[in-house]
Amino acid sequence: MRIVLLLLSIALVSVAEAAEYAVVVARNSPIEALDSERLRDIFLRRRSFEGGIPLVPINLLGEEAVRTQFESLVLQMDRGQINQYWVTSHFQGIKPPATQASLQSIKTFIERVDGAIGYLPISMVDDGLKVLHEF
Amino acid sequence: MKFVQLRVVGACMALCLLHHPVMAQDSGYEIGLGKSVNDWLTLGGYFSTEYEKSSAVQQLQLDDVAVMAYGEFSNRFSYLLELESVNAYVADLERDTRSSNFPPTIERLYFDYKGSDHLSVRAGKQITPVGYWNQQPINVLRETSSNPRFSKEMVPKFLTGIDVHGFAPLGEDLTYHVYLQNSRDMDESNINIKPESHYGFALAKQYGNGWRIGGSAGRFKEAIGSASGTRTATRYWQLNSRFDNQHYSLIAEGIVNTESAVGAGRARSKAVYVQGEYRYRPRHSLISRLEYFHDTGVAVPERIGILGYSFRPVFPVSLKLEYQWHQESSNNRFVSSFSVLF
Repeated sequence: MRIVLLLLSIALVSVAEAAEYAVVVARNSPIEALDSERLRDIFLRRRSFEGGIPLVPINLLGEEAVRTQFESLVLQMDRGQINQYWVTSHFQGIKPPATQASLQSIKTFIERVDGAIGYLPISMVDDGLKVLHEF
Repeated sequence: MKFVQLRVVGACMALCLLHHPVMAQDSGYEIGLGKSVNDWLTLGGYFSTEYEKSSAVQQLQLDDVAVMAYGEFSNRFSYLLELESVNAYVADLERDTRSSNFPPTIERLYFDYKGSDHLSVRAGKQITPVGYWNQQPINVLRETSSNPRFSKEMVPKFLTGIDVHGFAPLGEDLTYHVYLQNSRDMDESNINIKPESHYGFALAKQYGNGWRIGGSAGRFKEAIGSASGTRTATRYWQLNSRFDNQHYSLIAEGIVNTESAVGAGRARSKAVYVQGEYRYRPRHSLISRLEYFHDTGVAVPERIGILGYSFRPVFPVSLKLEYQWHQESSNNRFVSSFSVLF
């Protein structure tokens, strides 16, 4: 009985910790994987290239769960810290990444624009996209 | 007359607060992020007002008024232009005099080329990439209204030249700058030092726990006085460190200068400051700074202690109060400011 309970709890923890979202690029992108530190630099526009390719990070408009999770788990910043960062960057002539209004438009943008990189629920990832990082 | 000035300051404050600075909206205008017209053009600017009171001085000033334009021509080329009126309006309440200085000067004008993350080039008039304080020179981005003395006297704030910079190939979180100026400044109206040449380098290392360290070294030459041919050459070495977390930040910078002039021997200056900020509630913080400044040409080193308070209804709107204790007590003063980045 104890073994069954143990296995059950491990299974529950695994389900609870399973990644729901992914950072993705187009399937034909030569980029294979990126760690969260590199992603943080890209989405904070400290870095603009990967393997010589100019990158176009794209954010979801508003405060949907996928965006807040991305900011919390990958950028490791809350919205106040992010606002402060972009206000300081505005003085340095740096704008935040462009936004798209919906998850579907992010998906389409990534598929069509060279170097585009964004985040989506894993359930939306299909053959046109490549997963670089799960969170 | 005092009422008129206070009404001007009050009107500016009301204008900003009426702007209802709320959380980030990703479309349209948001205070502190400028107005993006298209990829080529984002417009913005800032202003600050300051009130200062000591035993000898009581003045109110519209300190800086600036507009900025910047944009990207492609993912490799971009530019920035900043025009600023410094001391745009000063009311000396002690002597009951007024002065204004509205014609703007070129604060920054540069073009960027991004070759890669390891090699980018900035050409034009720009902020010298030395330390922390020098790179956040406007009131609204600082923790206090006043600047540490070294930031005004020991390194040229601006560079009219080239800065090659990027992530160093040796380390993932190590950044470098190599900069060079070989001409007069593009606009010498409002600069602290007017070098004829200036070169140096800076390195900074970011650690994952919110800690950052860096340093720089350089040399500049400037003409002194109106007599032709009289020049000084100054070398500087600078170290800095910063730690940030959710509630605290701690910044320290130290610098040593050695200035030499033909027939005048060498003079050395050294300065250090340590500043702590405690964000005890959202939008409210307490700041303390200790400064030490010693010019060997002056017998007594100067020590300054500052205690301040900062209130930011949102980050790009800042109201600050501070009191400064100087070694020479007649220099003690109260300073308050209101500043906005828009």
